[in-house]
Amino acid sequence: MSQILGREGEHRAQASVFVAYTAAATLWLLFATAVGLVLAYKFGAPDFARGEFLTFGRLRPIHTNATLFGWASLALVGLAYYVTPRSCGSPLYSAKLAWIGLALFNVAAVAGTIALDLGYNAGSLEYREWPWPIRLILLAALAVTAWNLIGTIARRDTEDIYLSNWYIVGGVLWACIFSLVAILPWYQYGLGQVSVSGYYMHNAVGMWFTPLTLGMLYYALPKTLSRPIYSYALGVFAFWTNLVFYPIIGSHHFLFSPLPWWLQTTAIVFSVAMLVPVWGGSSNFLLTMRGRLRDLVHSYPLMFIFVGVIGYVVGSTQGTFEAFRSLQEVWHLTNFTVGHSHLTMYGFVNFAIWGGVYALLPLATGKAPGPLGLSLHFWMAVVGSFIYVISLSIGGTIQGLDWMRGAPFIQSVVDIQSYWVWRGVGGVLMFLSHIVFAWNVWRMCFGPSAEAAPLAAEGAAV
Amino acid sequence: MNKLVLIAGGSALVYAGLALLMGVLPGIELSRTPAGPGVEPLTPLQAEGRDVYVANGCGYCHTQQVRPLPQDKIFGRASAPGDFAYQTPELLGSERTGPDLTNAGVRQPSTVWQFIHLYNPRAVVPESIMPAFDWMFKVVEQAPAGTTPVPLPKAYAPAKGVVVPAHQAEALVAYLLSLKQPALPDLATHDGGSATPGVSSASPAGAAVAS
Repeated sequence: MSQILGREGEHRAQASVFVAYTAAATLWLLFATAVGLVLAYKFGAPDFARGEFLTFGRLRPIHTNATLFGWASLALVGLAYYVTPRSCGSPLYSAKLAWIGLALFNVAAVAGTIALDLGYNAGSLEYREWPWPIRLILLAALAVTAWNLIGTIARRDTEDIYLSNWYIVGGVLWACIFSLVAILPWYQYGLGQVSVSGYYMHNAVGMWFTPLTLGMLYYALPKTLSRPIYSYALGVFAFWTNLVFYPIIGSHHFLFSPLPWWLQTTAIVFSVAMLVPVWGGSSNFLLTMRGRLRDLVHSYPLMFIFVGVIGYVVGSTQGTFEAFRSLQEVWHLTNFTVGHSHLTMYGFVNFAIWGGVYALLPLATGKAPGPLGLSLHFWMAVVGSFIYVISLSIGGTIQGLDWMRGAPFIQSVVDIQSYWVWRGVGGVLMFLSHIVFAWNVWRMCFGPSAEAAPLAAEGAAV
Repeated sequence: MNKLVLIAGGSALVYAGLALLMGVLPGIELSRTPAGPGVEPLTPLQAEGRDVYVANGCGYCHTQQVRPLPQDKIFGRASAPGDFAYQTPELLGSERTGPDLTNAGVRQPSTVWQFIHLYNPRAVVPESIMPAFDWMFKVVEQAPAGTTPVPLPKAYAPAKGVVVPAHQAEALVAYLLSLKQPALPDLATHDGGSATPGVSSASPAGAAVAS
């Protein structure tokens, strides 16, 4: 009897960890994308919200860092704290450590945001703009998370380690390593720092957000479909190829720069090699969904996951093509890159997170969002991000072509204006969808439908 | 337990090796790149201006790297490794919403133009979407002795008093004016003598791309 009560208590403790991470992440999502909207508006009205603390160059890193380390990191760690214990059949190693990690992540993100707004920017080096003491706090948060997850897996009740945990534990450990490499100053002078920037900015994406998202999907998708993953071996293959190829491609952010030509070429070659883990992973997900179209269109969690998988394959394949010198000649340094980063971080990571949260959070809390909230979130996010990515892709291409035909520089600013307006339209829809998401999270965490079983919720909510 | 060590430890070890190979070692090697001919460290005021540039995120819209591509010739000669010897933090940038600034000091050598442009870019370039940095200036009734007020067009000037640059603006403009590419002497013969000092367009990499 006491054992059953103990299990019950563990589940409740795990659920509250999951809830707290998701709720905190949602607040960061609202904040980061509100800042994003202000930034988008400034492209059309540069004198809007002027002044030291609202100037574009300070808000821009606030938007990116809050998105990456406030929203996406917290949401993915929250999901990992649900997926890992469940897939190991063991309790969370320490709920207390999870709470400490949550506090550290948030302290870092709050302090980083304030520092950037006050002008303490560590060199405008993308995604590592927070002053180094604050990045040490982030590193501590990652280390605590790694320790906690490894401890959980060590207590598993089976010999095997489920694939999700390969990606999750790998991702957290790799993030500790690249964060440390980015902080240490001794090899970061002049051009040396350029090579570290190339390494870091791509590894932060592909060795942290990608593995945690994939790990979560390898649990959420089979769980939602009640069907095993299409090929376990393919997942393992994608894991190792992603690990070996991804760290090498960072320098493709600096094509045509004074970095050694061989370094750039190596990055291009491995950018092509990335098609192997990307197509391997995404076809594994798609083949798991095969023949279940009917379930797909009747389940918003699955729809979100489906869009996420499509975002993964399209965004990453686009990344491979962008790495070619011939195409970089047109697209490098244009807004096309911004479209690409939103296709991947939003179309892939965000949609996958939302699918995971909608699939798993109701299982943890026993509360579910209503169909209206789900459909509003899904459609506004899909349409909004579609408009966003398409408009910046076209606008960025026009910018690049303007430069190539030797037009005066300011012409490229004028020609892209209407596409920036469309980007804003897409951004507004995306932001509205996040408000609905927050409402849905509220219902899943603290909502009134406490008694409703997850699957009965759809009828009850109408 | 063994499997956990293999997966977590093994993958972390592989990754650490790759991080060393692709991050740390190129960093060590390239950090030793010697300064090119004529590349000088900044003066204290210019260095302060560079900090202002970083603090306000100018580098998110302005690159400081000239690529060996035809469309980049308007910004100067292709950047060489030696150009970056004194540039920590690096400011190569990833977006060119505004023009490249590698040669800003050659293109716009006028202090007055720089101040007006900084106060409100639209006062000199109507289509510009650069933020106004008017908070780096002071509005005073009369310019103190030895200071020239910024000659703003009427539409942009305050109703009362005159505008003088505060220290931040002074430092930032000093930095912007310092941005000049030193010519690469041994290559100058290639492009038949560039008219603007510091703006020669040929480089070995440039020639390779053009051919």
